[in-house]
Amino acid sequence: MGKTVESSSASSVGTAGGTGDRVFLRKASGLIKTAGATDVFIFNVGLVSIGIGLGTAILYGPAVYPGGSLILGIIIASVAMALVALGMITWTVTIPRSGGVYAFGSRILPPSLAFASSFTESICWLFLTGVAAYWIVTIGIVPMFTMAAVITGNSTLQSIADTLSHEWAIFLVGTLVLLLAGGILTSGMRRFFLSQKIVFTIAMIGSLLLVAILLFGSRADFTANFNNYFGPDATYDGVIQTAKDGGWANPGFSWKQTLLASNWWFLPLIGAAFSIAIGGEIKSVTKSQTWGMLGAIVLCAVVWLISVPLAYKVFGYDFLGAVGFNDLNGLAGTPTTPWITLLAGVLTDSWVVTVLVSMGFIAWIWMWVPGMQAYGERAMIAWAFDRIAPGRLGQVSDRTHSPVVAIAAATGLTVAFLALFVFTTYFITLIIFIELALLAWMFVLAAGIVFPYRRPEMYEKSPISNKKMFGLPIMTVACSAGFLAALFYFFVLFFDSFAAGHDPKRLTIMGVTFVGGIVLFYVARQIRKSQGVNIDLAFKEIPIE
Amino acid sequence: MFKRKKRSSEDETLIFFCTDVHGSNVCFKKFINGAEFYGTKILILGGDVTGKMVVPIAKQDTGKYLTTFAGQDTEFTSDEEIDNFIKRVSNMGFYPKVMSETDFRDTKASPNAQEELFRDLIKARLEEWLSYAEDKLGGTDVQVFAAPGNDDFFEVDDILQSSSVITLLEGKVHQLTDRHEILTTGWTNPTPWNTERETSEEELEASLLSMIDNVKDMEHCIFNLHCPPYNSKIDICPKLDADMRVVYDMGNPVLAPAGSTAVRKVIEECQPTVGLHGHIHEGRGETALGRTLCLNPGSVYSEGVLNGVLVTLGGGGVVDHQFTQG
Repeated sequence: MGKTVESSSASSVGTAGGTGDRVFLRKASGLIKTAGATDVFIFNVGLVSIGIGLGTAILYGPAVYPGGSLILGIIIASVAMALVALGMITWTVTIPRSGGVYAFGSRILPPSLAFASSFTESICWLFLTGVAAYWIVTIGIVPMFTMAAVITGNSTLQSIADTLSHEWAIFLVGTLVLLLAGGILTSGMRRFFLSQKIVFTIAMIGSLLLVAILLFGSRADFTANFNNYFGPDATYDGVIQTAKDGGWANPGFSWKQTLLASNWWFLPLIGAAFSIAIGGEIKSVTKSQTWGMLGAIVLCAVVWLISVPLAYKVFGYDFLGAVGFNDLNGLAGTPTTPWITLLAGVLTDSWVVTVLVSMGFIAWIWMWVPGMQAYGERAMIAWAFDRIAPGRLGQVSDRTHSPVVAIAAATGLTVAFLALFVFTTYFITLIIFIELALLAWMFVLAAGIVFPYRRPEMYEKSPISNKKMFGLPIMTVACSAGFLAALFYFFVLFFDSFAAGHDPKRLTIMGVTFVGGIVLFYVARQIRKSQGVNIDLAFKEIPIE
Repeated sequence: MFKRKKRSSEDETLIFFCTDVHGSNVCFKKFINGAEFYGTKILILGGDVTGKMVVPIAKQDTGKYLTTFAGQDTEFTSDEEIDNFIKRVSNMGFYPKVMSETDFRDTKASPNAQEELFRDLIKARLEEWLSYAEDKLGGTDVQVFAAPGNDDFFEVDDILQSSSVITLLEGKVHQLTDRHEILTTGWTNPTPWNTERETSEEELEASLLSMIDNVKDMEHCIFNLHCPPYNSKIDICPKLDADMRVVYDMGNPVLAPAGSTAVRKVIEECQPTVGLHGHIHEGRGETALGRTLCLNPGSVYSEGVLNGVLVTLGGGGVVDHQFTQG
């Protein structure tokens, strides 16, 4: 390859190869401009969910990981996710196809491993969809009703909050949320995008409102309001003392706790690379995916970096740790889980603001639900297409063009996962599935390290094929860095017994799921073989002699 | 779960269909090698065999060669670099052309010169392909069929017809096997690009009906129509605005059907055994219109990957099918 001398000023009009003002084009169908960096950026920000990151990290960070710096954690998680994203960017510009890890993996990994990676990743995202429905109730709805009841003194609102805190209520409301998401997806992509646009607006308004509340609020106001609402049983100082008596302590800065706490930032940030799922629809793919993914990471990190110090200022690190610790251990504190939405309600002393902030959080969490369901559905359709899964999974509605069977299957799975999460303690360490998804991504990133050498005929078509770093193909370097970053967080999660850990029983879940994917592949292969269909042909490249 | 179809080993015919290779050397070679790889005696190449872009490699006063590709201007200093680049862009379906900077500027300034250059390069590429096909399949019992698409110049028909191993199917009904006929056209309904072989829905319907008159056994007929039926799920592609830009909503492209109502009408009325389609690269998939199974393998030619579909035909129609990404 020659030396790149300057960037072309011409606009891109092709789906491949790119163009400039030194090429000749003829009129032919298909020469269209597709998604740009802004589109990718919006897509990814919606799937990061600023609210989930802020809600979980504020609740669990100081409480479970005392001495951990949430601010440093944001930076570490963001850098790690940026490295993972860079690896994925080299994949998506080299193979600019929609389908995510399945599209990449099937190009170099053995078909069984490519399917198992896609299968386990999809199980993870669908499981987290069920968890998101749980969070909508517990982070959003219950604190909203609780604080509205406390502020207004309305016992009916408190009764609603109490009722919604019960397992069955959480499950039923969560199920309604999941069914609603499935219904919207079934009604067609136009309605889905419209609903996401509305929800995104609500989420941004809620987040800006929260930042404003924290910016203009004071510790004195919060303390006074907290003592007024929950005292004398639970006062600001009393909550801290109870936690200390119960064994919580702030030992000062700890690197170990900082890393473990950063898991809660890393989890939502994974959504910043989800545009690999729409890689085939993006123009100027190198620029758009790079800015779209990295931009989403930067925006979320900036919002968090602004919000966390403000939360410390208003609530105090020790109080946040203590009130979370007390809630997790059944000690005196708030009447319901002290998510930041509830604390913001205490601060403002206004039920209207409480409701608006809570709605913003509910909106952020909602963004995950249909978004991740859709990711799982796309994978199912791809499996059906390659004859690994039953053909009915790929069936599309004549009226709405929606993959109705895949949506129903995905929705059913998310409801089942919600039930497992709500009614059992076995699955409560939810991040265990994130470990599984990271494992799947690690396979793909590891494959990317050797891709330029194993598949040079494909890599040479990539727009980054002439770029080298340390004398190595840029894809090798980026995927190596991404692999190491993913491996790093795999082990951070592995040694975080609160978020994931390595309990043998839970590791068994991971093993069974991944091996289950491989077994499913070979079972499907055998069934298809008996029908006279060789599914290996779906993946094999035709050799040219 | 996995629906099992009744199989009969006798009288089954396996065909390999792919489409929209758009000038890609590697895709065409894969198509030809697909016969041995998939174990089929019948290869069918759908329309749009020609590429869309010439990539000039212009010699500069410095002795270096300058080109633009992937949005970047790139210089070459050795013949090896140029050869590698030519191979790469040819595999992606483009037409590299080494020329002087003066010739580049003259061609750039003249639409007629560009048109002529395109025709020359397309003709040369197709002739290379025919030579390759004859070397690989000449003297074998593999039947190769091809048809142009809406993007292809009319001269393409003559070039394809000159081959000793490829049978041109355009605009006629051909007896594919003892039992199966195939009806073919590369014409489509109007597109935003005003390409070579476009016509109104009414004229397209009339053209199709005139060919249908020649079908002897519709129950075993294959409709090899480049354009897919309208609103059939295999004709869904990104919606364009007045400036030919994809319409986006929340970062996702808004999709819309772009197939032909005439094609849909004739398929629904005639109910052939299978419809083989292309045209909409994003429309990879299958759909059923009554008893007719309509297939569009889609295209990702620029990646050097040959999307195709293997169709097993039996006495009662389509026994099975399988999409491939070779």
